[in-house]
Amino acid sequence: MTNVLEVKEIQTFIGQFHILEDISVEVPDGSITVLLGRNGAGKTTTLKSILGLTPPSIGKVFLNGEEIQGLASYKIASKGIGYVPEHRAIFVDLSVEENLRIAERKKGDFAKREEFIFSIFPDLKKFIKLPGGNLSGGQQQMLAIARALVPENELLLIDEPSEGLAPVIIEQVMEAVRQLSAHTTVLLVEQNFIMASQLADRYTIIEAGRSVKHGEVRDLVDDQETINRYLGAT
Amino acid sequence: MANLFKTNRAILITFTVVLLLIILISQGLEPKIWVSILLSGITLAALYFLLASGLSLIFGLMDVLNFAHGAIFVLGAFVGLSVFANPRLFFNTVPFFLTITAGAVLGEYFGFYLWRYVHTMRARRIIQVVLLLLAFGIIAFSLRRFPISALNAFSVTAVGGAVATAEAQEALSVMIQRVAFVILGGLLFGVLAAPKEAREVGKRRPLWQILVFAVLLLVISFALLVYRDPGELFFLALSPNIRFLLALLFGALVGAIVGIAIEIVLIRPFYGRPVTQLVLTLGLLIVMIDLIELIWGDEGHPPMQPPTLFAESCRSDSIVAWLSENCSSINVLGRAFPTYRLFIIAVGILVLVGVGLLLQRTRIGMIIRAGVQDSEMVEALGINVRQVFTFVFALGSALAALGGVIVAPFLGVYPAMGGVFQLQAFVAVVIGGMGSFAGAAVGTLILGLARAFGDYFVAAGIDIPLLDLTFKGSPAIAKASSVLIMAIVLLVRPQGIFGKKE
Repeated sequence: MTNVLEVKEIQTFIGQFHILEDISVEVPDGSITVLLGRNGAGKTTTLKSILGLTPPSIGKVFLNGEEIQGLASYKIASKGIGYVPEHRAIFVDLSVEENLRIAERKKGDFAKREEFIFSIFPDLKKFIKLPGGNLSGGQQQMLAIARALVPENELLLIDEPSEGLAPVIIEQVMEAVRQLSAHTTVLLVEQNFIMASQLADRYTIIEAGRSVKHGEVRDLVDDQETINRYLGAT
Repeated sequence: MANLFKTNRAILITFTVVLLLIILISQGLEPKIWVSILLSGITLAALYFLLASGLSLIFGLMDVLNFAHGAIFVLGAFVGLSVFANPRLFFNTVPFFLTITAGAVLGEYFGFYLWRYVHTMRARRIIQVVLLLLAFGIIAFSLRRFPISALNAFSVTAVGGAVATAEAQEALSVMIQRVAFVILGGLLFGVLAAPKEAREVGKRRPLWQILVFAVLLLVISFALLVYRDPGELFFLALSPNIRFLLALLFGALVGAIVGIAIEIVLIRPFYGRPVTQLVLTLGLLIVMIDLIELIWGDEGHPPMQPPTLFAESCRSDSIVAWLSENCSSINVLGRAFPTYRLFIIAVGILVLVGVGLLLQRTRIGMIIRAGVQDSEMVEALGINVRQVFTFVFALGSALAALGGVIVAPFLGVYPAMGGVFQLQAFVAVVIGGMGSFAGAAVGTLILGLARAFGDYFVAAGIDIPLLDLTFKGSPAIAKASSVLIMAIVLLVRPQGIFGKKE
């Protein structure tokens, strides 16, 4: 299996703080890979470093074999990465439709993908003219994911999609992620280990800015020692 | 319905308050006086708005509190005045800018061949500083003892009608030497801006396009120099209306170009460091005003003659009559109101509608609205948001410069003219809500009206109801009204009328 994304020993500083000390991640084509780890371990910064929002100062990032670290974020994203940040970051003043249209990289992207997007998120179609700020938290999360689907991205970076949502809604969001993973590769950050274990194929555990363990999720589920050691009791 | 009220609460309350105030104030006023004060207020508001709209957009999108905005306004006024009245300055300075641009375009293309041999960040830094100093050195050297004040003195004679053949301008050979030398400076600027990594080079324009563009610029600048005398006569023979239109266009263009230069050179390296940017723009304000004084002198120019479209000494009965008569004033309920001020109002409305449509109807407008909320997310979608930053900076600066040109026939031109307008624009933006375009419009309208009505009542006195007293303030109170209003608005709604809660 080829890797869509390879992160090799990156280090990232934010100001004077050495946030990522040594992170390596591999994301095989067509998989859902999950980054696990405690709060503040550096999962979100890893996603941002891949995208160049907090560019790594050492190390390399490959997208389909092409070196992308050090490029401007918009160039990295344009190579086929969709980003669903934590707290969703949808545009509250823009209508749902504008929130989707703004993600077009070529004219007509949205028209091409409209049907696919609304098949996964049928609710969004009802609110198409409403401002994004009027949606509920769960709807906003769906909109944020839908926005990342507008261009044909090869990789989605999804940061904590379950955060702050009611359990029923989390189920819906997870179901949506499962559906779209049939079409694209996903790198997921998720605190909720049970959720993550139901969705993901592979995992990377991040502990204090270092990637400490990789493997298949199905092996991890039975590995109580690792879970307790790195993820706390869940 | 309840929802509609809730989301538009701020607007509704504002309009109710303003309406109540106007009704209250207009009690005991004759309608014709009332209307002419109202129009004066809107005139002021339109001028404030040209500054405030740019300030607000720039702050909203980039978190840059641009203190240099007022300087661009002043620059616009002086450039406008010069284009209108002093083509000699135009013909003798524009070639410099064209050739610097030509050099920069070439340098940007070939600069990579230098950078490719410099690998460490440290070496690049050092070379950058050296190149920058060298570039400024070359330009300073090629412009040494340039007779700028003599060129400016020409405008006085030109306005008088007689074209003086004073030795204001240098001999053609000297000018061509200067211009040829300046190219080197431009070349170095271009090298500075060139991509440093092979990966960044990406898709470049083909060499022949670069060459054609550069050669075209050089040809134009030499043509301007060679034909400067007939060109000057041709210019002065044009109708003042056309010259004023050219002043508007050219002023806005210069504003946009200066805005782009400021954004790329000074603001861009410091995004995410708002305090640095704030101090930087504050310093830039001082430097720019000093440069303007250096170029145009520190004395003020009285309000220049408005273009003939607004200059016939008569009073038209209606707008339709004015179209054929071109009177300087128009009959508003029996009182004369200057037509030029109506023109200012029209420009203000045009800008309001134009920029509003741009924001609401175009893709770049959509990106700006999204970027005001979260520019990092916009970039993460694959949009070159820095380019949009530059565009907004250019747009805001162009509007400010346009304001400067328009104000020249109304209030005159002097280096300190920006202070008052900048302050009012800032206050208006704070009242309306930082980053909100509609807020800038409403804020400036409130301030303009407050100032106009305040001025009137301070002079005329206000009868205090129920008490047999008349309140007469000093003119300072009318001036302070904007700050008073700001204080009240901030107490009630700290984020401004249209502002979002942080």
